[in-house]
Amino acid sequence: MSIDVRNITRTYGDFYALDDVSVALPTGQLTALLGPSGGGKSTLLRIIAGLDTADSGSVSIEGVDATKLPPQKRNVGFVFQHYAAFKHMSVAKNVAFGLEIRKRPKVEVKKRVGELLELVHLSPFADRMPSQLSGGQRQRMALARALAVEPTVLLLDEPFGALDAKVRKELREWLRRLHDEVHVTTVFVTHDQEEAMEVADEIVVINGGRIEQVGSPDELYDQPANDFVMGFLGEVTRLGHVQLRPHDIEVAVGPGRAGAHAGRVTRLQRVGFEVRLLVELESVEPGREVAPVSVSVTRSHAHALDLELGARVWLTPAVGATTVPAMVAV
Amino acid sequence: MVELSMPVKWLLRLLAVGYVLMLVVVPVGTIAQEAFADGAGAFFSMFTDPHVLGALWLSAQVAVQAVLINLVFGVTISILLVRYEFPGKRLLSALIDLPMSVSPVVVGLALLLVYNGRTGWLGEPLEEWGFQIIFSGPGMVMATCFVALPLVIREVVPVLTEIGDDQEQAARSLGANARQTFWRITLPAIKWAVVYGVVLSLARSLGEFGAVKIVSGNIVDQTQTATLLVETQYQSFEQASAYAISFVLAFVSVVCIVVVSILRPKEGH
Repeated sequence: MSIDVRNITRTYGDFYALDDVSVALPTGQLTALLGPSGGGKSTLLRIIAGLDTADSGSVSIEGVDATKLPPQKRNVGFVFQHYAAFKHMSVAKNVAFGLEIRKRPKVEVKKRVGELLELVHLSPFADRMPSQLSGGQRQRMALARALAVEPTVLLLDEPFGALDAKVRKELREWLRRLHDEVHVTTVFVTHDQEEAMEVADEIVVINGGRIEQVGSPDELYDQPANDFVMGFLGEVTRLGHVQLRPHDIEVAVGPGRAGAHAGRVTRLQRVGFEVRLLVELESVEPGREVAPVSVSVTRSHAHALDLELGARVWLTPAVGATTVPAMVAV
Repeated sequence: MVELSMPVKWLLRLLAVGYVLMLVVVPVGTIAQEAFADGAGAFFSMFTDPHVLGALWLSAQVAVQAVLINLVFGVTISILLVRYEFPGKRLLSALIDLPMSVSPVVVGLALLLVYNGRTGWLGEPLEEWGFQIIFSGPGMVMATCFVALPLVIREVVPVLTEIGDDQEQAARSLGANARQTFWRITLPAIKWAVVYGVVLSLARSLGEFGAVKIVSGNIVDQTQTATLLVETQYQSFEQASAYAISFVLAFVSVVCIVVVSILRPKEGH
């Protein structure tokens, strides 16, 4: 195990940012710490890096107890959400910083910086100042800077959070490819479930200072441990006594299947290839309010069924759908 | 921005310019005019007088020492105030502004009470050890440090707050220790604030009068700084000499500020 976190607790006054958290992150993998804002994931990452200290518990990196080590002795690379570029240094100088601190020979520094700038596609910008780069370029520079010291682990704190949607998508694909090339153990924090699912080998879901579940993206999506994980990793709707994903609901235009819930389409919204429906169920028990069910179908399927506003439909959970029992409504 | 009608705009400009003109430009300009009233030859001949040269040299020495001390402590205190949490932080921050609000004469008197060689509770033992504070160099440097204390700190603190500690943390994670982080990252980032603070301190220190007058004793050729000499000369009807020294003092301050505003990079980066 590359990073072994044991019984970490961190409080700010009365607030438990992390509450007795233990997790082991394997060597060479790309792991995402996923959770809502304020859930403790950034605090955990900063404690691993030594930029924050835990009240109790221990951290070991590659078998070495790092709990008491200052950040500069942990050999971790850290990438910040807002880049933390050294504003008074050129791109090449930024990347060279860690090597110069380590007093490596000039020739070696120059060669390594050249290689790294090549790796992050910034070679033509070596002599620019950070203020002359775009956000995405600055973050790639920060990545090269962190990789320059050949860290045992690379830690990224919401690395794409400050970038616009398109650049974010490009960079996350690029990070995945980069990781396949350099194989350094990488941990990144994100609150974007899509980002985590797309990039990570393994996801650690953190909420309210505790770990909710650890697993591969497929495991988390298909076998969520609880309704929080299910809700956080994708959309959830309630049909009868279960919670399930809107695309796991079969829509029929006639009764037939046993246990089908009849209802009427009250909203129909097309988003790209997908059609989102809101279906108001015909209540089985009169007088009790039931929230409308959201259903998502493909556009061609909606065409085939000839769905339109006000149409009467029958809903059933799809075979093999991921479901979690719904809380009894009060 | 609120649109103002043309007459209002011009009225506001006239008001601002007129205010600065009557308060600053005209009086300082008059000093220059008086200093050169009898031509440049007469002006420069003032600086052959050993009293004048001695006083200017003393002023420069005191100012430079005070500025160096305030530079070291100012930057240290600024980092302490911005980067660390400790009990009494707000009190310290308030105390630093004290020299701004307390009259320099009071400062001088306070220092005199503590450090004088005969009755001062710290001055007495120091005198026995052979250190004379009051009526000598150390006292003058102390008084000047006191009055110029907030200038470096008030320039540096906002800049430190604005840049945040991301860059410093990045440097630490890349292997830099505290000293390397300070010299390579923090100091270059606050460089201009420090330079500006130093220049303001220098200008303020050169011009200090009240506090220095009390602690120095105003002994001719020994503890008489340029500002003290201006007063003495003026009162003994040596106006020409008083104006010439005043002009030099004002000129140095103006040059300092002009140089910095030229060197200082444009805001926004």
